[in-house]
Amino acid sequence: MEGLIKLLKDGHARTIEMLALELDTTPADIKRKLEFLENTGIIKRVSFEVSSCGGNCGSCGGCEHSGDEKATCKSCMPSGEVLNMGEMWEVVGL
Amino acid sequence: MSTATIALLGQPNSGKSTLFNALTGLHQHVGNWPGKTVEKKEGSFSYNGREYGLADLPGSYSLSANSDEEVITRDFIASGKADVVCILADSSQLERSLFMTADYAGISVPCFLVLNMADVSREQGKQIDVKTIEEKLGVPVILISANDKKEYEPFYEALEKAVEKKTMLNVSSLENTYEKINGYSEIKNIIPDNLIPGYSTMWLDVKTLENDPVVMEKLKSAMDKDALAKIEEVKRNAKGAIETGGAKFAWIDDVLKDAVSDSKDTMTLGKLDRLFTSKVWGKPAVVLTILLGLILSFIPALPLMGIGMVVSALKAPVGDLLTTVGCPEFITAILCNVVIQSFSFIFQMLGFVFGVTLVFGLLEEVGVMARISYVFDNTMGKLGLQGKSVMPFLVSFGCTMGGAAGTRVIDNWGQKVLTIALAWAVPCGAAWAVVPMLSTLFFGSYAVVVIVAILFTMLLHMWITAKIFGRHLVKKEDRYGMIMELPPYHKPKWGALLRYVLGRTKDTFIRVSKVVLLVCGVFWVLSYSFVPGSDPILYTIGEAIEPVTKIFGLKWQLFMAFIVSSIGKEGALGVISALFNGGNFSGAFYDAMSGGALASDLNDTLLANVTKPEALAFIFAITFNMPCVVALAATYQEVHSVKWTARIAIYYTVGAMILSMIAYHIGLLIW
Repeated sequence: MEGLIKLLKDGHARTIEMLALELDTTPADIKRKLEFLENTGIIKRVSFEVSSCGGNCGSCGGCEHSGDEKATCKSCMPSGEVLNMGEMWEVVGL
Repeated sequence: MSTATIALLGQPNSGKSTLFNALTGLHQHVGNWPGKTVEKKEGSFSYNGREYGLADLPGSYSLSANSDEEVITRDFIASGKADVVCILADSSQLERSLFMTADYAGISVPCFLVLNMADVSREQGKQIDVKTIEEKLGVPVILISANDKKEYEPFYEALEKAVEKKTMLNVSSLENTYEKINGYSEIKNIIPDNLIPGYSTMWLDVKTLENDPVVMEKLKSAMDKDALAKIEEVKRNAKGAIETGGAKFAWIDDVLKDAVSDSKDTMTLGKLDRLFTSKVWGKPAVVLTILLGLILSFIPALPLMGIGMVVSALKAPVGDLLTTVGCPEFITAILCNVVIQSFSFIFQMLGFVFGVTLVFGLLEEVGVMARISYVFDNTMGKLGLQGKSVMPFLVSFGCTMGGAAGTRVIDNWGQKVLTIALAWAVPCGAAWAVVPMLSTLFFGSYAVVVIVAILFTMLLHMWITAKIFGRHLVKKEDRYGMIMELPPYHKPKWGALLRYVLGRTKDTFIRVSKVVLLVCGVFWVLSYSFVPGSDPILYTIGEAIEPVTKIFGLKWQLFMAFIVSSIGKEGALGVISALFNGGNFSGAFYDAMSGGALASDLNDTLLANVTKPEALAFIFAITFNMPCVVALAATYQEVHSVKWTARIAIYYTVGAMILSMIAYHIGLLIW
């Protein structure tokens, strides 16, 4: 765990696989530790869901003001979801 | 008949509800925990002459007092209402889901362990030696699949055993691990025994190290100042939850050692990922991928460009036809010079929208985009930005407004403003439609070179912009890392992808049609000479400003198109369409009457009237102009500062004119 924290602190981006390689462990071990750190508030999952475009989309022609919080601007955000981008966490509480 | 109360404890998705429903059937009632909005489920069942009450505790990751769920769970267990706690874990990922068991260890309520999802772990080829785990833990352990009621016999037996023998978790090996932690032994000597009934000193010690609010509160009320100060002192030098968490995981690994065998994959990065994550080759690989993607997107674009040309060719026959049937000249001119011409442009442009969306949608779906954002993380750092700024940039390739809205994930205001300021430099969907089209029109297959130049100019622009704005907005503070999960590469789902691309193309078509038609109409009317022989207003203004606009390499028509492009880039096409239509513009209407000008193709007219250096200047001017008014509004909404929004807008307008001038002079050197 301390090895992981040390790596997270140095400011470089790493993938789960790279963390596992550097710490000589498995991606599953890294994943459970990330889950722990997320629950402890040390890291935070980044959510790219932009819940709405703020009603600015008068001219973009695609926004659904359906009252649904999650409605996204079709012609602004790639159909509301980001395809196959993987998860991202940032370190917040060290 | 004897009775016993069981509490179900487990992380979310451990299958608690399935087990609860299967055991109680109809004998359950649902309410709320007192004073909380957390659902409370209770029920009952009987087995072998004993009546069991069952309480479904709210699912939570662990037993830290971070949430209502966790506090409820802890209070219930501490209250002594449960005779036995049934802990659930997911047998398909034991090393992670036994964390709850590790956190439970030290609570003096008897328990037993249910390893659920036996079907899944069997499928994974895992062999779990339940007996070995049972010996290590000292409590009954069973492996079941909660959705298969036929497997429940071992569950009832384990339950009976736990109730009758009051089986407790063996914590000695866990405590051995804890003892290696900084501060554990010191705190253990200070904490009074039985501080909270039901919790062992070991458990309380660990929670003290983890700075658990409830335990700290108890300590404060139960201990004198000196002892408390001493605890605080020890904690200052300890690493808290990081170490205790690490100890729990180490204990889990120890419990599972020799008990779980699975075919572990050896960890290697795939060939492609080794390339993308390489320090030397990562960036070139990514830049090449993007370039290749842009070039490939020309392929599906070309057929649609052809359609655009066909539409344009309709002008002459339609014009002739309308004149023959005696349609008023004004209407004929509007239909041919505004409507048909606009649609010709729109169709020529749509091909590129389709191509770019398809290629980049594909890159995202197969997982390459995630690698691209990974590679750019360190560059982000050099610009003073967080790695997650890369997402707004990627979104800005589609729409700058989406990019601006996407910066909402950035908490730091300065970084947010800088991200938006840089995102403006990313050519948006409208630019990717207008620019390749104009480039192809003027430079033929050399359009690819123009696109490459634009891409590198974009990178340079972002770098310069970051240098200019960066020092006011971001401080050289410690930048912590980022963890990215690179998603596995997978084959694209063509159906879904095509639906997405066609949807985007359709949306763009509708939006662009409106803008182009409107702008083209307005400019056409402004350039229409209502009094025969006199110059229309626009022409007079245009002639007057041309000496200035020439400095930037722009004819007055192109300069007006540039100005309109700050409202929306596609609008530039409308202006060109109106102002260059039918050749000699003030006489356009009369030429149209003779039929001659209508027959001439606008593309040819453009080539005849605009030189290549001017075209290059114009292309750079509109690409790096402010994206559109809507993006401006979105920027204000995220930045909440008129000053910064105006600063960015002025910077981009001026910057675009400077780039235009540079491009013009480079063009003069080439042609």
